Amino acid sequence: MSDDCVVFDNVSRFYGEVLGVNRVTLSIPPGITSLVGPNGSGKTTLMNLMAGLVRPTRGQIRVLGIAPDDPQHLCRMLGYSTQFDSFPRGLTGYQLVASFLRLFGFDRAKCDRLARAAIERLRMGEAADRKVAAYSKGMRQRIKLALAIAHDPRVLVLDEPLNGLDPLVRSETIALFRECAAAGRHVIVSSHVLHEVDQISDQVILLSNGYVVAEGQIQGVRGEIQDRPMQVLIRSNRPSLLAARMFQQDHVVEARLAEDGGAVLIKTRDADRFYRALNVLALDGIDGIDIEGVMPADDNVNSVYEYLIGGEGSR
Amino acid sequence: MTEADGSWRTQIAGVMRLELRKSFFSRRGLWIYLLAFGPALLYLIHAIDVTRDHEHRQALLASHPVSSSALHLIRKDMTQEQVEELLGEPYLKNEFHQNGRRRGQDFAIYHYTDGESDLTVVLADDAVVNINEQDRCNLTKDSAIFATVFQFFYLRLAVFFGCVGIFTNLFRGEMLDKSLHFYLLAPMRREILLAGKYLAGLSAAVAIFTAGTALQIAALSWHFEPGQVAAYLQGTGWHDIAAYLGVTALACAGYGSIFLAAGLLFSNPILPATVVMLWESINIFLPAALKKISVIFYLQALCPVVAAPESDTPALLKVLISSTEFPPRWLAITGLTVVMLLVLGVAAARARRLEINYGTE
Repeated sequence: MSDDCVVFDNVSRFYGEVLGVNRVTLSIPPGITSLVGPNGSGKTTLMNLMAGLVRPTRGQIRVLGIAPDDPQHLCRMLGYSTQFDSFPRGLTGYQLVASFLRLFGFDRAKCDRLARAAIERLRMGEAADRKVAAYSKGMRQRIKLALAIAHDPRVLVLDEPLNGLDPLVRSETIALFRECAAAGRHVIVSSHVLHEVDQISDQVILLSNGYVVAEGQIQGVRGEIQDRPMQVLIRSNRPSLLAARMFQQDHVVEARLAEDGGAVLIKTRDADRFYRALNVLALDGIDGIDIEGVMPADDNVNSVYEYLIGGEGSR
Repeated sequence: MTEADGSWRTQIAGVMRLELRKSFFSRRGLWIYLLAFGPALLYLIHAIDVTRDHEHRQALLASHPVSSSALHLIRKDMTQEQVEELLGEPYLKNEFHQNGRRRGQDFAIYHYTDGESDLTVVLADDAVVNINEQDRCNLTKDSAIFATVFQFFYLRLAVFFGCVGIFTNLFRGEMLDKSLHFYLLAPMRREILLAGKYLAGLSAAVAIFTAGTALQIAALSWHFEPGQVAAYLQGTGWHDIAAYLGVTALACAGYGSIFLAAGLLFSNPILPATVVMLWESINIFLPAALKKISVIFYLQALCPVVAAPESDTPALLKVLISSTEFPPRWLAITGLTVVMLLVLGVAAARARRLEINYGTE
């Protein structure tokens, strides 16, 4: 097995009688790799397997030549931003990252230096001394990323890392992934929204019902599915005004207020133009509109995968 | 980064730092403080009651002076006149007539005090028929009471359930909070994580429960004269206190290891806690070989005062009590350490195979 890759060799994982992933054989090279699939397709199981949080029922995994049941070596070179939002209680953002680094056995000075560097890299300096419990969804997402990158790992595993981030932080985070990939590291990102990751990925792995159904470069596929409208939920201080603004765009086919009244649900035919327009709105702060978070809300994602599975040919 | 960067001591200290905060200040664990300090509060109430009672007796003595020597001269069959001649007018007198089958009887109950003891004299038809002397609390009597409460309540219930709360929470609580992955993503052996969590739980349990024991002893001896307390301490006092504190710490270590393992092995630790409690409770009835597979057996051997089973224990149960000799102190500590290490070994084996599966918790 290659010591440069994350390798899955005929790996299966069952939770009792429930299938997590089945017969996965993969070799993930350095660069940005996206695991894409609908909820329940096995993305998180695959990530948990490579981080050693769960064990394979069958098969073998090697992360740069190291078995995941060897945490003292694996976790020095792997950083994992999980989907779980819970942390040890009562800690500030800085304390959380510094405490995590203490578990590596580093001395206080090194922990302090690495923690501050990671927090600054995620632009969380101002919030570093606030309790994590008081963080917004986006801030929690960023502090999880800070935890994952703090020890400068060679493999970054990130479960839905762009969820809940506002457009500005989203583009900064994507820049961070690219920077890591350019430095020869592995960045493995999961998403249930193909559009979100296909532009940044060197490689995409499509999962469905626990099976890898396609892998490789799939930018071309995006064009084929562009006629399918995409839904995005935008949290804002002025959702009604935002809805009116967005509806002026010709690619927006629907804009309606969310049930809680604090967000607007946009349906667009052209994701690229939509995100460009949203970025302009967010950066310029037109009419005092403040974008608090952007979250894909595509109910139709399953049909997209069915389409892809049919088109690429399932295994 | 190399392995040399990481020191296991620093890792254990890192785990302990996070866990101590949780063990001491968790809102979920407030009831543990009640268990630990509740008995001390009861002893304090008792001490206040005894002090007030003593002050009351002193006031009665001032109004109805009686000497201690005269109090002890009262014998059965003395007449009412003889009693009153020796002790004077009682501070409280109850008289009543009781109708019998043949003839009625006149009863009188006289209460005297010398400021320390209470003497109750029962007279029937002007003759003493019963004398009841109630001593003021003394340290010897209170030490025996403390030994019984300590062994049958404090160790078996308070420390036991306190350890259930502290130690099962170390892993199981994090599974429920969905925060265990924080530790599992750090580059440390699972045995190191287990050791850090165990030591943190142990530090918290020992601090809380030895403080509880110390406060109980302080509250118990609070109402005695300083001279009496000094005499007790110069006798067996300091040794007894050290032994009780040591036994409390060892109880935390023993029960802690069991409940740490239970938190790793079972989704619902209440079930194993109940089984362990039953096993510990029937320890006195078990044959010698089985007694040794328990924590309470070794703890009892280390207690400075042996608490006898209660006098109202049914005769049948008394027959069933197995009369095994307690082992010497060194053997008791060794035995308890062996039990503890065996259990921690099982817990370490489970920790090595631990997975994150929050969905099924």
